[in-house]
Amino acid sequence: MIKNYLKIAWRNLVKNKVFTLANIVGLTSAFAVAILLAMTALFELSYDQFHENKGSAYQLYLSNQTPRGTEIGTSNPVPLAPALGTEVSGIKSIARSSSEDVLVIYNNKELNLDAEYVDPSFFEIFTYPTITGDSNNPIPEKNTVSITVEAAQKMFGTSENVVGKTISLKIRREEHPFIIASILKNIPANSSVDFEIVIPFENHPDYLSNIDAWDNMFHAVYLQLENGVTPEQFEENTIAFTELHYEGSIESDIRDGAVPDANGKYKQFHLMPIGNMHFASYRSGVAVVNRIFPYLILGIALVIIFIVSANFINMNIALSENRLKEIGMRKTLGAIKRQLFIQFWLESIFVFATSIIAGLVVANLLLKPFKTLFRTKATFADVTQPSVLILFAMIVFCITLVAGGYPALLMSKLSTLKALKGKLDLGKNRLRNSLIVLQFTIAIILISGTLVLHGQIEFMRNKDLGYNKDQVVSIPLNGKKDSYRVVELLRNELKGNPDILSVSGADNNLGMGRDGSLSSSAMGFDYKGKGVVTNALTVDYDYAKTLDLELVAGRMFSRDFATDSLGLVINEAMAKQLGEEDPLSVKIPMDDGTTFSVIGVVKDYNFQEVSRAIQPLTLFMNNDWDLYYAYVKIAPSNITNSFEAIEKAWGKIEPQAEFLGSFLDENVDRTFRREKTMATIVTSGSVLGILLSCIGLFAISMLVVAQRTKEIGVRKVIGASVSSVALLLTKDFLKLVGIAFVIATPIAWYFLNEWLQNYASRVALSPLFFLGAGLLAVFIAFVTVGTRTIKAASANPVKSLRTE
Amino acid sequence: MLLQLNNIFKWVNSGGQRIFLLKDINLEVEEGEFISIMGPSGSGKSTLLNVIGMLDSFDEGQYNFLDESVHTLKEKHRSNLYKEYIGFVFQSYHLLDELTVKENLEMPLIYKNFKGAERKAMVADMLDRFNIVGKKDLFPAQLSGGQQQLVGIARALISNPKLILADEPTGNLNSKQGEEIMDLFKQLNEEGVTIIQVTHSEKNAEYGSRIINLLDGRMI
Repeated sequence: MIKNYLKIAWRNLVKNKVFTLANIVGLTSAFAVAILLAMTALFELSYDQFHENKGSAYQLYLSNQTPRGTEIGTSNPVPLAPALGTEVSGIKSIARSSSEDVLVIYNNKELNLDAEYVDPSFFEIFTYPTITGDSNNPIPEKNTVSITVEAAQKMFGTSENVVGKTISLKIRREEHPFIIASILKNIPANSSVDFEIVIPFENHPDYLSNIDAWDNMFHAVYLQLENGVTPEQFEENTIAFTELHYEGSIESDIRDGAVPDANGKYKQFHLMPIGNMHFASYRSGVAVVNRIFPYLILGIALVIIFIVSANFINMNIALSENRLKEIGMRKTLGAIKRQLFIQFWLESIFVFATSIIAGLVVANLLLKPFKTLFRTKATFADVTQPSVLILFAMIVFCITLVAGGYPALLMSKLSTLKALKGKLDLGKNRLRNSLIVLQFTIAIILISGTLVLHGQIEFMRNKDLGYNKDQVVSIPLNGKKDSYRVVELLRNELKGNPDILSVSGADNNLGMGRDGSLSSSAMGFDYKGKGVVTNALTVDYDYAKTLDLELVAGRMFSRDFATDSLGLVINEAMAKQLGEEDPLSVKIPMDDGTTFSVIGVVKDYNFQEVSRAIQPLTLFMNNDWDLYYAYVKIAPSNITNSFEAIEKAWGKIEPQAEFLGSFLDENVDRTFRREKTMATIVTSGSVLGILLSCIGLFAISMLVVAQRTKEIGVRKVIGASVSSVALLLTKDFLKLVGIAFVIATPIAWYFLNEWLQNYASRVALSPLFFLGAGLLAVFIAFVTVGTRTIKAASANPVKSLRTE
Repeated sequence: MLLQLNNIFKWVNSGGQRIFLLKDINLEVEEGEFISIMGPSGSGKSTLLNVIGMLDSFDEGQYNFLDESVHTLKEKHRSNLYKEYIGFVFQSYHLLDELTVKENLEMPLIYKNFKGAERKAMVADMLDRFNIVGKKDLFPAQLSGGQQQLVGIARALISNPKLILADEPTGNLNSKQGEEIMDLFKQLNEEGVTIIQVTHSEKNAEYGSRIINLLDGRMI
């Protein structure tokens, strides 16, 4: 029986070559892409899920009621964690953690490593096992460190017999010896806390000076609650603690007019489960856990599978008409419904199984380019967990059941006589049409998403950021030398070069450099009885000149004035916040008795991500604070040569440190990596979506034309022209695309509008985006269907009418 | 003279051999004639009819229709020609299933760019003439075979063709219905319409003024 089924199935598939091929090609590419996308999504979702204590471990954050509204801070003061641990009940372990780069020196070898300064209890909360050394306490002493296998290999070439060796770490400006106490397994790619070396927190350069300071916040705090203690109970427990330790800060907030939260509190600690950490954002004053990105990818994967399945169902139903005689014959020979159903279903499973296997092969082949294209570290290992495999098998089973089973059911239900007559009444093809409409709705949504995403990226890229991003190179100062000295040396080294226009430095980058670091530093003070918060930036001379910043009032820091270390340059947003008519009159007294005065105002420029509104900014000039980036402005001609000259100069000044200089426009581009990845995914989704929809449409148009052969013949015989027949046939399909357009536009508009709200400056959501998407879909559908219908319309009617 | 066929040949190549479908056909048809084409299955009756109707091409010979030489005409002119002068009636009626009787009749007029009001008047005329006013809103499936063929003939006649080509018009009908249809043809012929029909039945052939017998593509 089975053998007979398989034989018939095989012959049928071979007979309908075009359809079988269309189905297998469509299904294979859809499965390949869906597998890759699902892999990416599952990888994203697996972030921080490997921690054994993920049910009871949390990151601490503080919600502040300020005069500017609610603000959330994840940075904490040094004394907080020990105080919480002793004064508040319910905490099992608590650890401070701060991430910073550190220069490691071993036998003349210098290496920049990503360091994490932590308390030993960090390892009780998180699961980062060791290979050699104590897993529960890998850093037992203040002068011990722990490094990962990868870091050990980078430094020593091996991870064997490394424990016990002494290395030198350059923390800020001093070198200290440390003993390696243990080797950690490499940090999993899906860990949001990422590091290569762990250093006891007491060695943090800001530790000693801030040991009792409650107003200087710079590190994260993680904690694990005792069994049975809920986060709500913990939050309740901290209320008295907060009121005690943050008294001064709360008072000044009340004075400035802050509004308390619903519980009447001005500051409240909250806990973010570590499993949600990767997806949390605190930007708008509320902690939002947002997994939209992975779910969007998963959604696109499902939608693609849906589109091909719809193709499959449509083609199968349409093709079944040709097999009615066979069904009728089988029925007269005594086949029962179930046998027929199984037979047709087997055929579907055969096609699906082939496609899935081919899809896996294709996905495997595409894995490497895919990973670089989408910048994911996802691997098949993320997908091949038993639970995922079982889920996948179940999904496939359901799809074949519906996609293969529905047409099978339809046919097996037919009465014998009807089947033998070869007439199949499919109820006006309502199912087919709704599936086509759905396919094109999805395609149009994806296309308009693609257009808007690219529009927004182009908008951000072309936006005038207020500084010169095309002619300026920024270089991370990652060497051993004093930063001011390095900038000065660069200046001297490049002085003779006519293409080098200016050199400066600052303690923060513009955009994201090749060192991959993004940071911000903010400070607050009282001005005329009012709290003021500003971003702070330490700069070197010629900063405005190098970046082409525009001065609105006053002057920049200058070598001609000795007192400029007490001067401030602010941006317009800061001037507005200060509220003085003449910002140059502003004098700010500091706690230590010195007084800063504003000497200049620069025009607002996007010193943070382009997506954010420009915040208040204050520029300082203080040689006690290190610079971290050098900026070099070059002439618009000879760009390559100038860049090489800079690299050469760098090699002379810091021979041990890697040159990571890059143009600011590249840096800015790098900050919308996420948007770009999303754009790539949505674009490929929409291309594939429309392509697959068209394969389906093409097949259906072929079948419809075949079914209407007689009608076409009659119409032509009584005088219809080729164009009128072609139009008649094409119209029906274009109508479906039109309906899809009407359905898709409001949906796409709603979601894209929501998405654009994330951007302070955004591209206008013009109807042209949607019209463009709709027209594109109509055009593609027209071309797809048109080729078939025109061919059918120009055929000789005698051939179609001769069948009698 | 309405049309003239001179030495018409039509063949297909099959397995290296040339098989003749029509062989040296010579035929003149005057206006007002009623011709019956007879012959066994496969003798080329329908092929000849299709060639006359310009639906099918031929490989050799000359065909003049109303002083136009069809064999030199381009496809477009040819279709304009038959649109204008020829109506077709089929054994299996070939009505459009999803259109009502009225709409079926209207279809050729739409393709000839008649105006809406004119179309209505012509359709009403035709419905009247064939006594099927009461059936105008029914679909083909709701009619008997004879009635369907009546609609088919009405559709062929609606644009006032000079020539009606009928391919076994009674083949799917019972004898009574067949007789009615043949009477109708007779009547139309008397009104001046030229008719060429293909038939198997001696009795039906008798309605015609001339009988052409075909065997293996040859006139005998």
